[in-house]
Amino acid sequence: MKTFNLPDLGEGLAESEIVKWHISVGDMVKLDQVVLTVETAKATVDVPAPYGGRIVSRHGEEGDVINIGALLLEIDETGAEQTASEQKQTADAATVVGNVSQHAHSVNVDDFWIGGEHNPSPDNLITALPSARLLAKKLGVDLDLVKGSGPDGLIVDADIYDEAGKQRPGTEVLKGARRTMVSTMAESHHNVAAVTITEEAVLEGWKQGEDISIRLVQAIVHACQEEPAMNAWFDAETMTRCVHSTVNIGIAVDSRHGLYVPVLRHADEYEPQEVRRWLDQTVQGIRERKIGREQLQHATITLSNFGAIAGIYATPVVTPPQVAIVGAGRIIEKVVIRDGQAVAVKAMPLSITFDHRACTGGEAARFTKVLAEHLRKPSV
Amino acid sequence: MTELTLVEAVNLALHHEMEHDPNVIVLGEDVGDNGGVFRATVGLKQKYGLKRVIDTPLAEALIGGVTVGMATQGLRPVAEFQFQGFVFPALEHLMCHAARMRNRTRGRLTCPAVFRAPFGGGIHAPEHHSESVEALFAHTAGFKIVIPSSPQRAYGLLLAAIRSNDPVMFFEPKRIYRTVKSEVVDNGEALPLDTCFTLRKGRDITLVTWGACVVESLQAAQTLSNQGIEVEVIDLASIKPMDTTTIFRSLEKTGRLLVVHEASKTCGVGSELLARTAEHAMCLLKAPPKRVTGMDTIMPYYRNEDYYMIQEEDIVIAARELVEDWK
Repeated sequence: MKTFNLPDLGEGLAESEIVKWHISVGDMVKLDQVVLTVETAKATVDVPAPYGGRIVSRHGEEGDVINIGALLLEIDETGAEQTASEQKQTADAATVVGNVSQHAHSVNVDDFWIGGEHNPSPDNLITALPSARLLAKKLGVDLDLVKGSGPDGLIVDADIYDEAGKQRPGTEVLKGARRTMVSTMAESHHNVAAVTITEEAVLEGWKQGEDISIRLVQAIVHACQEEPAMNAWFDAETMTRCVHSTVNIGIAVDSRHGLYVPVLRHADEYEPQEVRRWLDQTVQGIRERKIGREQLQHATITLSNFGAIAGIYATPVVTPPQVAIVGAGRIIEKVVIRDGQAVAVKAMPLSITFDHRACTGGEAARFTKVLAEHLRKPSV
Repeated sequence: MTELTLVEAVNLALHHEMEHDPNVIVLGEDVGDNGGVFRATVGLKQKYGLKRVIDTPLAEALIGGVTVGMATQGLRPVAEFQFQGFVFPALEHLMCHAARMRNRTRGRLTCPAVFRAPFGGGIHAPEHHSESVEALFAHTAGFKIVIPSSPQRAYGLLLAAIRSNDPVMFFEPKRIYRTVKSEVVDNGEALPLDTCFTLRKGRDITLVTWGACVVESLQAAQTLSNQGIEVEVIDLASIKPMDTTTIFRSLEKTGRLLVVHEASKTCGVGSELLARTAEHAMCLLKAPPKRVTGMDTIMPYYRNEDYYMIQEEDIVIAARELVEDWK
């Protein structure tokens, strides 16, 4: 059995008046046979039966005003079943004016406050730059505890940095040399094809109290002159290499402010005692933070004498555009076999890192050999 | 007290104001004998006569021009366009005269007219019966634009619109003309034309919407509440002037803005809301604002209508992203 509701008659009207029924309960009707006449506000309309069959019940009497969607007829079908897709099409049918739904929503749309007076400003109102919010999230800073320094208490990035140290003791924002180290080392690590070669220089002929720094500077100058490929600048982007004839040695100096690498320019022209004087002055300058930017530039090769503190071997990091760095470890005493006899000797461990994009293994090995041999020489 | 539908509340407001102010005139196509294509003006002609309830020819330019003339000469006409899509022939009168009358005459004449039009899609009608072009009028200086979304607000806002001394575009969401019902107090009290209405409190998201989308927004808010996200639902109602004070006050609490409107996205009223938030409330935000809107296409014919219309699920998804992506 199927039901037939009053359809939308195409004018967007909600209701119609029943003018005349053309059938009675028990009648057999055919598809599209006129079953009743209704009057809308605009016109009188004959309504056809949507299905054939026997009328089971009839709802509404002549003169009644009924709503669209109200039950009109129940029809017991004797003919073919309407297919599901036909039903869908009926439900989907477009009308010229539109089909304004009668279906009531269960939501309550008429429970409202005029404006939003119930929203007083919260006591803990936070205004913060979006970047400051992001920063606080990264640093684990609780915004509720931050006092904003911007206009009207706006929290800016600087407030978050300040607060980070308070909320997480030990946290600091990197500055100066320590900050520079981050990018220089990261760039090097990312780009350089680093290979480290190690060697020991046996120091049999050294006097007591030999100045290690002077000997290292001299040895590097000599090695660079013998194997200039390691005393060079390299740029992969332009595929260029500049092999230097002068030797500018960047010397790594540790300080509590971070790593500094002042440059001993024209190291090849220095007398030994001048090297010492330059070193002492420079270290003093770094401690007093009086070293100028120009003193940190134009190194052609770097020396790291980390062994002065501790460490035997290392893998030093080349600073582009340089192609090599010499690391000197702590001088060790060891036993070697010489002419079948065990002999105690002093030896300096050397770790030389080079950029294999710019130097061959042979060049690095020859450089290392010359370096170690020069260090082995007795004191003058 | 009986419950009224939204369209019945519009009718009630018209009855109330015609009874209390003899200067109120209703005019439009089929508004008299027929009672209006959606029954908004039913009973008015029988009660107030053909001099105050005027059936016009099918000529919207005429409706616009006559209304401007009546309004500037002391009447308070309420003109009906059968659909918002039929307003275009009258734009010359609306935009170039009604909206500018006060300015052009240096305050000597005002234009206290109301232009009513049902708007919005989702009723299986063609595209020129389905559009949402509130932004077009919001961009034109001189109009107030009001969109009610409940019976009580339709009543109170229409009274306010009729009493306004400047022209009001009054757009009625016809999809929910008869699907929302509530008790309406016929006390003649107007609602303010410059404020929004808060429909639901919430601490996590400020959802601003208007028109028929209020229904899906409230449904989504209930669904989200069951998932632990509390949405504050604000019915903008007055598109212009725009009550950003209430919205920013809510953002102070939630820090997250979601705008839902049926009109297409580009240069929609949602764009203006986001722009003002960026200008004045950026530092309250915990997440970039989001919009759930209609598409930048012509309203599709009925078979594809549901793809265009905003569904509750669309709002739920956007709201969850606003919270979960920006904890």
